[in-house]
Order: sequence, then structure tokens, then C-alpha cells
Amino acid sequence: MQYVYSLLVLIGIYVTLSASFNLIIGNGGLISIAHPIFFALGAYTAALLGIHFNVPVLVSIVAGMLVALGSSFALSLPSLRISGDYLLIISIGFQLGFLQVIKNIDFTGGAGGLGNIPSVLSGETRDIVFASGSLLMALGVVLLIRWIVRSPYGRAITAMRDDELAFVTLGRNAMKIKLVIFALGSGFAGLAGGVYAYYFLYLSPDQFEILQSATILTMVVVGGMGSTLGPVVGGVLLLALPQAITFLQLPPNVMGPLQGVIYTLLVLIFLFVRPQGLISAARRQT
Amino acid sequence: MIDFTMVAQIFWTGTATSSYYVLFTIAFALVLKVVGLWNFAQAGFMGIAFYAMFFAFNVLHIPVWAGLAFGFAFTIFFTGLVEVLCLRTLRKRRSSSLTFFIFTLILSEFIAYLLMLFFGTEPVTLFPSILSPVRIVADIAVSDWDLVALSSTGALSLALWVFLRFHREGQFLTAVADNGPLAELYGISAKRAYLVAMTIASVFVCAGMYLFGTRAGVIPTTPLELMLFAVIATLLGGIGRIFSAALAAIVIGLVQSFSILVIASAWQNLVLYGFLFFTILVFPRGFRLPGLRRVRGADLAPKPTAESA
Amino acid sequence: MSEILAIQGLRKSFGGIVVADDVTLSIGSREILGLIGPNGAGKTSLFNLISGVVLPDAGTIYLQGAPIDGLPLYRRARAGIARTWQNVRLFETMTVMENLLVAPREYGGESVLRILFGGAAVRREQEALRERGSAILSRMGLAATADTLVTDLPFGQQKLIGLARALMNDGPCLLLDEPMAGVEGGVYETIKAIVREEAASGRAVCVIEHNISFIKDLCTRAAFMANGRIMQTGTVVELLSSELFIELYFGT
Repeated sequence: MQYVYSLLVLIGIYVTLSASFNLIIGNGGLISIAHPIFFALGAYTAALLGIHFNVPVLVSIVAGMLVALGSSFALSLPSLRISGDYLLIISIGFQLGFLQVIKNIDFTGGAGGLGNIPSVLSGETRDIVFASGSLLMALGVVLLIRWIVRSPYGRAITAMRDDELAFVTLGRNAMKIKLVIFALGSGFAGLAGGVYAYYFLYLSPDQFEILQSATILTMVVVGGMGSTLGPVVGGVLLLALPQAITFLQLPPNVMGPLQGVIYTLLVLIFLFVRPQGLISAARRQT
Repeated sequence: MIDFTMVAQIFWTGTATSSYYVLFTIAFALVLKVVGLWNFAQAGFMGIAFYAMFFAFNVLHIPVWAGLAFGFAFTIFFTGLVEVLCLRTLRKRRSSSLTFFIFTLILSEFIAYLLMLFFGTEPVTLFPSILSPVRIVADIAVSDWDLVALSSTGALSLALWVFLRFHREGQFLTAVADNGPLAELYGISAKRAYLVAMTIASVFVCAGMYLFGTRAGVIPTTPLELMLFAVIATLLGGIGRIFSAALAAIVIGLVQSFSILVIASAWQNLVLYGFLFFTILVFPRGFRLPGLRRVRGADLAPKPTAESA
Repeated sequence: MSEILAIQGLRKSFGGIVVADDVTLSIGSREILGLIGPNGAGKTSLFNLISGVVLPDAGTIYLQGAPIDGLPLYRRARAGIARTWQNVRLFETMTVMENLLVAPREYGGESVLRILFGGAAVRREQEALRERGSAILSRMGLAATADTLVTDLPFGQQKLIGLARALMNDGPCLLLDEPMAGVEGGVYETIKAIVREEAASGRAVCVIEHNISFIKDLCTRAAFMANGRIMQTGTVVELLSSELFIELYFGT
């Protein structure tokens, strides 16, 4: 039963991650692979606030979200000023550099990881609270993104994707829109991170490395880029997958890479066979 | 306090070890220039090159030259496959830069995971020993590896330069790089140029992995980090300028080597990221990821960017 | 007639090519200035300089007396410079009305916070925009196309929508880049009528055109550009009969 609860928590977290990544990459058209890092920033911030400063859970999770949101500007501001494509390169560097930092300073637990995250509640109450909290978070984020995308703001984003120069010539501040989308998406990732930290109570750098981005990217691409339900479907489906593989009873050092192979292979197949994903976006994607 | 010999040693070894970086950078920059593609799949090709040679030496137990040939053949074949089956399809569909990015990156990750399944995650080198005979020249330790690295890198780079400059096929590459549609009008096949460029890149990649793999341990995710180096050097050197990118690779390699004097090795990689940020901040000219830019044939007029028009 | 747009000593070169060579020009309200000249003369580049796509190497641009050459692209539109494109550049995954809705000078929907918390105010603003858009479409006889995807429209109508989108700016200055290219008949007349109306309502209009009869019909003044320089300005009749024009335009 515990197992089901943690799966539900994970579903909530991953749907949040893929919906927020979809906002950045599917709606905003911004290419970045640093999403796992904002997830990590939120997780570590929330955890460290709890461990060292006894900050209450909810506050530290929100703080994690805000830190992730704020730090996104460190990537977006310098790179978007030049061109949207620089963001990708910076995000690669940030992804790898940030992990280096975490692995090397004691404050964050180093390569060994960060434990001792204060546990809130216990027993089945804990599981129920976290599971429903996580799912509510996912629901909230998905609905919020849906609202934004269907609003006049979403219309502006679409126009920007269609023809940015024409869009800006009309008087629209494309840069601001990109900065905000990136910040929102990253903030949501940070929120998910905080929840992750307080449920699983242990963080380590290899949970957030570059190959994580494959997982999230798979959810978005397979689910359907730019659609509302796509990332939800992608998130649920791709979390169910490893559960299916567990039945094969393979040793752990095979499981990990096998999961990775399946995820990446799925993306490759979908890219060529069904680029719009399982749930196609409402509008044609350019 | 720092004595000259130590500086000279670091300089020598640093230059020698930047040889593989130079090779990876040239490969990356060449594909970027001719094909117009930020080839994040290069990490995958690097992995394949290494493990093919590893397989040849440690499982098939064939001599060095045969193993190298095997490695080259395998890598070239695989790269060609990707170009013909995958990249051409995406180009035909006029896929966006996002799609190319996702494809190349995910391909590298797919290969990394596959390699993990087959070869595990323990670091391995191409040969059981990475020690090579050392001689002392003017107080500096010069190893055979250093000499092999420098001479092979130098030879390959020179060969490429001569090829691009004087050989017809090489000149075609440059023509396609400058203006694909125009080159087509003159009967130069862009498709073939792409294939040639990718093939040359795989040669450089394989050579680079041989050098790296005879000196340091490799795990399936190592190529991804090595490739980042190539990306940064390409940015620094200037997009479209292969040999200044190669120079940048040497510079970064040397800076990394010298930084040992001032920062702990754990933070070494951060030097790289420092360079990355520096490059981005100092280079105000935007650049475009590929996708529609290199579409052939009946093509829409390219949309003016904020700088052209 | 007040001066709306004034350009002084504008210079720009790309690499070795000079696209604007000491360009000085002014357009007053109610004027329709025809910008003519051979291909590659720098006409579209001049529009790019005025609208802000490209920054000049030297010179100043004044809009209603205030210098705008330091403003970034998006702010120039907000100052009141609207332009159309040679290749139209509509937002292809959107409908006609949607294309118009993102085009006004100030757009409340650009702020996420406003969208989330602005509720009624945003709705009202969108309604007002919709009405404005419909009014413009009606003037063109295209009210029925409001919810059609722009790519489903024939080319002539797409050009009209491009013009409509520029009109949403409702600013003092309108730059039209070859509005007549590829159109004829009814669309031609519609565009002519609209341009006349817009000028009459006080705007300064500048039109790049190769279609000489359009220039003769509509423009009050003309400027002849070649190799990045304004070679001659004057009334349309003067220009079209000048020897310089005939020589440079048609070649000797």
C-alpha cells in the first residue's frame, strides 16, 4: 500500500515537471535542458531550510519554488538578450556546473547526498497527505498553465512562436514573455522539488543529472508537446513503465539503463513516427 | 615560488592533453559549419567509437592498427546511417530546431544508456595500462603518448586544412557551408557534402577517443561531458571557423591545466563553465540553431533576423 | 500639416554594402509618400531602420518631434510606427481575428499577472479590441473571415489582413511595404481606399511600391531611392518624368 502512495506522489511530481517543461519548451519554444536543475534547486533549498533553519515544511517548499523561479533569470537574462538559442547552451552548462557545485560542497551533503530532512507526520496519514498534496499540486499547475495558455497571454505566446519578428514589430515585448515563461516553468519545477524532498527525505546529485532531462523530455514529447493533457498522459504513462519493468525482476544496475534505453527509444520513435505525441496540441505546432 | 620547470611541464602536458579536445572540437565545428547542425549526437558517436575499439582490443584481441581500423569503420558506418536515415528525414520534413535538438541529444543519451547495458558503468581504458614510456627532455617529462597525440592531431588537422583548401571535395564543403542553395545551382550536391563532413567528423571523433581512451578511464556518460568542451570551444572560436575553434580548444585546455595550480581538482570543471559564461556574455552576436536554415530546394526566402534584412 | 516622421542623415551598412547613405526625409500628416526605386535600392532597409528591426550606424529618426532611434523594436510600435511586410508575415496558426487581437499598441494580455488577477478589466479590453478589429475588417469587406485561419485565405485577402493588423496600431505613422504586390482587382481598390482613408484621418503614410499607377493615383509626393540614397524627391509627376529616374530605374 505504501508503494501505491509513493507512486501517487511521484505521479504528481512528474506530471508537474512535464507540464512545466511543456510550458517552456512546447508552448514557449525555448530550448533548455536545465529543467532537472530547477527541480534540484527547489528540492535542496526546501531541504536545507528544514534541516538547518527549522523552517516549516510548507514555507520551505514555497521558498524552494521561489528560489528556482528567481534563479531561472540567471540563465534566461544573459542568454535571451542575445538569442533564444543561446539559452540551450547556457542550460547545458548550468546543468552540469550546478551538479558539480552540489557534489563538492559539504553544506549540500556532497556526492554522498543529503539526508536528515525533517520528517513531517508519520504513518499512513503522512502518505495520504503527501499523495493528495502532490496530486493537487499537479492538478493546480496543469490547470493554471491551461488557463494561461488559453488566455490572451497564450495568444501572444502563439503569435510569438509563429513569427517573432512580426510579433515584436507590433509592439510586443517578446523578451519579457520568454523570461516569464521560463521563470514560471522553472518555479513549478522547484515546487515539485520541495515536495519530493520532504516525502522521500533523501537527495543526491545523481537524482538530478543530465539524463533526468531525458525522462522529462520523453514525457513531453511522447505525451504531446504544446497540448494540455499531453504532459499528463506522458507523465503517468512513463511512470507506469518502470513499474512494468520491475516485474521482470532484473538486477538494479540493469534496470536503470534499461529504463533509460526505453525512454530514449520511445522519444526517437515518436519523433519519427508520431511527432505530435499521443495527444496532439490544439493548434498546429511550427 | 612557482618554478619554471613546473610551468613548462604543465604547458607541455596541457598542450598534449588538449589534443583530443582539438579533435572533438574540429569534428563538432566542421559539422556545424557545413551541415549547419549543432550535432549533439556527436557524444553518441564518441561513445560508439570508444566502445567499438574497446571491444576490438579487449574482446577480439586484435592488434592496434586493426582495432583502430575497426573503430573508424564502425563509427563512420554508424554516423553515415544516422545522417542518411534520420537527419535527411528530418530535413525533408523541414523540422524545427527544437526537433533537431531533441533528436541529436536523445540519440546520444540513448547510446549512452545502451552502452551502459552492454559495458556497465565502471571506468575502462582502451588498454589495460595507460602508462607509456617517458623520456626527459630539458627537464620535462615527455611521454610517447604525448608525442603520438600531438603528431596525430597535428597531422589530421593539417590534412583537413589542405583538403578544405585545395581538394575539390573539400572546396565543395566550403561552398555548401557558405550558401547551400547557391552551391546546388552549380551542381554541388549538398547531400553529399553533408555525408562527407559527417564522415570526416567521425574520423576525428574516433581518433580523439583513441587518444583519450589510452590515457584516461571512460564511462558511457563521459562523451557527453567531453562534447560540452567542444561546444564551448566552437562558440569561442567563432561559428564557422573550424581552426580558430581548434585553437580555442587548446587555450581552454591549457587554462584548465594551469588552473590546477590555483584551484582544487574537484572544481576543475567549473573552469569550463566559467569559459562558457564568459563566451556567452562577450559574444553579442546571436546565432541560430539549425532546422529550417539549411533546407534545400524550393525554399521560402529566409526570414530576416534582427540583424540582416 | 504637421511633420510626423523626420529622418536625418541616416546611415547603415552591412559589411561592405551601404543600404542607407545619408538619408534625410520627412513625412507630414495626411501625406502619402511613395518610395520608389529599383530592387536593392535600400527601400525595405529604410523601413527596417525606421521600425527598429535594424539600428542605424548614424543619424536620427524623429516621430512627432521625439527621437526614436534609440528605442528598441517593440517600443517603436508603441510610439506609433506601424508597418506591413513584403511577405505579409501573418501568424499562420491563428485566425484572422486572433492576428488582429495581438496587434494593438498596448496589449494587456502581455502580462501574466494581469491575466491572472485582472479578470473583468482584461475581458473588457479584449471586447473593445474585438470591436475595433471587426470595424477594420468590415471596412475591407472581410468581416465574415474573422474566425478563419489566415492560411485558408487567398493571397489577396491575406495582404488585406496584414494591412488590417497594421491598422490596429492606430498610430501616427504607417509604413507599407509593397502593399500591391501580387494583388489586383477588388483587393487593389480596397487597399487604395483604405490607404486614402488612413491618410485623411491624419496619419503619415509611406508606401514602397513598384506599381506606378498606384503611385500616380495615390501618392502626394514621391522619393526616389537608389543605392541607399534618396536621389530625388518631389511630386509624383516631377519624379516620373525626370531623366535621372528613367535612367536609373530602367537602365540606359
